Amino acid sequence: MATIANTSALHSSSSSSRTLNSILPPRKPLASRLSCTQRFNLSPNPLSISSRPNVSSKKRLSNLHVICAVKKLAETELVAVPAETEELAGKFPSSSGVYAVYDGNTELQFIGISRSISASVLAHRKSVPELCVTVKAGVVDEPDRTALTQAWKSWMEEHIGATGKVPPGNESGNAIWVKRSQKKSDLRLTPGRHVQLTVPLEELIDRLVKENKVVAFIKGSRSAPQCGFSQRVIGILEREGVDFESLDVLDEDHNTGLREALKRYSNWPTFPQIFLNGELLGGCDILTSMQEKGELTALFKK
Amino acid sequence: MASRGGAALLPRASRIKQKLQSALEASVLEVEDVSYQHAGHAAVKGNANETHFNLRIVSSKFSGQGLVKRHRMVYDLLGEELQSGLHAVSIVAKTPQEVGSN
Repeated sequence: MATIANTSALHSSSSSSRTLNSILPPRKPLASRLSCTQRFNLSPNPLSISSRPNVSSKKRLSNLHVICAVKKLAETELVAVPAETEELAGKFPSSSGVYAVYDGNTELQFIGISRSISASVLAHRKSVPELCVTVKAGVVDEPDRTALTQAWKSWMEEHIGATGKVPPGNESGNAIWVKRSQKKSDLRLTPGRHVQLTVPLEELIDRLVKENKVVAFIKGSRSAPQCGFSQRVIGILEREGVDFESLDVLDEDHNTGLREALKRYSNWPTFPQIFLNGELLGGCDILTSMQEKGELTALFKK
Repeated sequence: MASRGGAALLPRASRIKQKLQSALEASVLEVEDVSYQHAGHAAVKGNANETHFNLRIVSSKFSGQGLVKRHRMVYDLLGEELQSGLHAVSIVAKTPQEVGSN
């Protein structure tokens, strides 16, 4: 029986991808473009499969014709992951697709799909540098979930067909590669509505933004933002690999009065608001514009 | 490209335009009502008109000011509107020099 180990397969953010899917126009049926035969018993999140059924997979795969939107794994160029994280974005596409990670001996470790290949590679590089030395990337042009899964399957099938082995990172129970996508939880000002604050709210905000390097005040939670601007801001911070704290200004149970208090504190009337080292960096527009100009990476690194 | 609300500027849109134009002496001022994109948004109940705008402003008054300062200038001018139902504005604030160099 194939078992699926992880529910957050899309590395960048499962919530934003869900919303992304829901706003994308309906696609043509995939069958017209792709004909990857389904070989694994996969549920919607395919990044991890059991190695048990693969005893016979080599034989089964031998007469399989795989035509897919991405190049074959064997034909895809192996790219070294640069030591400097700033160079990483230039080496790998920031678009959606499938990627294969190799260790120092060019042993395939993991095949993943992502909404941003460069962000995922960066995350792997940070969490398991010794296993993430070179990477092959295949951009999927029409990155709906089905197309991404198909691309992933085609690479998995090709690798298993060639070696008879499942990449270690894709074996069920292996949490090395996907654990990082478990998001931090949002910070809360109080444990509940009935709890009285002993310090003024403004003082609490002041401490919060000064004691944490990057704080994002957003509408909704970081895993399920309730406003498009908040969602964009979280997407940017995650793509930059920023370790940030977040607070939900709509959570009246735990953050009673935060919305109005923060507007006064920062003299800024809208949300989201992003603070860096205790200073208001701006909202969504400013963050977006700084990212486009390439100013963010250096800023957050300091 | 003409802004969507260009043909029939609704009251808030024209107020925004007026306030920004007179204070910032903008050489480019585009006010686009994008409230329709946010219909059904949690914060937009009942009166769903004129809650969200995209603003594109080119003004020499932005010279020497950081982005936060520029946005604050715009927000300050729109204080009354924000009090009375304007929910969000997306702001692009540039100086004539910055536009020229692009």
